[in-house]
Amino acid sequence: MTDEKEFIQELLNPKTQNAAFQKLLSDYQKPLYSHIRNIVLNHDDADDVLQNTFVKVFQYLKNFKGESKLFSWMYRIATNEALTFLNQKAKLSGLTSEALQTKTIENLKSDIYFDGDEIQIKLQKAIITLPEKQQLVFKMKYFEELKYEEIAEILGTSVGALKASYHHAVKKIELYVTSN
Amino acid sequence: MKAFKLENEPKIKSGFKTPEHYFDDLSAKVLQQINEKEVKVIPFYKRKNVISIAAAAVVVFALMIPIVNNYNATSKELDEATLETYLSYQSNLNQYDLIQNLDTKDIQKLNKNVAIEDETLEDILASNPNIEHLISE
Repeated sequence: MTDEKEFIQELLNPKTQNAAFQKLLSDYQKPLYSHIRNIVLNHDDADDVLQNTFVKVFQYLKNFKGESKLFSWMYRIATNEALTFLNQKAKLSGLTSEALQTKTIENLKSDIYFDGDEIQIKLQKAIITLPEKQQLVFKMKYFEELKYEEIAEILGTSVGALKASYHHAVKKIELYVTSN
Repeated sequence: MKAFKLENEPKIKSGFKTPEHYFDDLSAKVLQQINEKEVKVIPFYKRKNVISIAAAAVVVFALMIPIVNNYNATSKELDEATLETYLSYQSNLNQYDLIQNLDTKDIQKLNKNVAIEDETLEDILASNPNIEHLISE
């Protein structure tokens, strides 16, 4: 934790800022990318959102109070950015966010940056039938393999509630895949 | 159809890939964006300014409401002199009513005033022919 405090100081100090931010980028770009990609689904959108996320992280770093870990704070920004992005995109295209997600999943088949077959598509289709919170929990637990404690910090809920959410999500997905 | 169980299946990967070397130049892109934002941030702040100015104007107007109200109220209020004249000539307030409304502070003030007038008391008494009447009262 003291290491993290030092690191944050380095990020804030104009002299060490550049090097520290480079380190932050290289440490977090991959996990944050997968997190965002799992929410927005296509690469170009994920790229946009990820860049915005890092820009925001940089801008708001001076307001970061260290109440939570840097890791969960950045995940939270990424989650918000991705969800806001999806809502805006849905609004612009005049679709509900569900309809938009369905369309995006259809497009995945022809996406050159998607390497999945029927089961992946089916799983994604099952996921979008879930409420937003359960979607997030499922993706973070199943695809990103984050710990419940980490997810709890990011989403600001209790571990117990998360376990219940995940359990519900798995049940609904299994039901969907079985019957479709 | 056999019931699908996630835990019985081999782990399903998300299947998402990235373009080759995507992460190699991501940091450069991000840093470039940050620098751009720092330099030509004007449109964003401009918009922000308009909003903050509008907000400030609303606040100022909101703060003015009580002032405007008071202003109207005071202009309609009677000034002190008119009130005094009215009370002494028109109303049926008497000494006792006034005395009842005095508090300790008022009485102390009155005492001071009386003390100053003490010196002239003699003159008054000397010049007043009805002195006996005053004493008996």
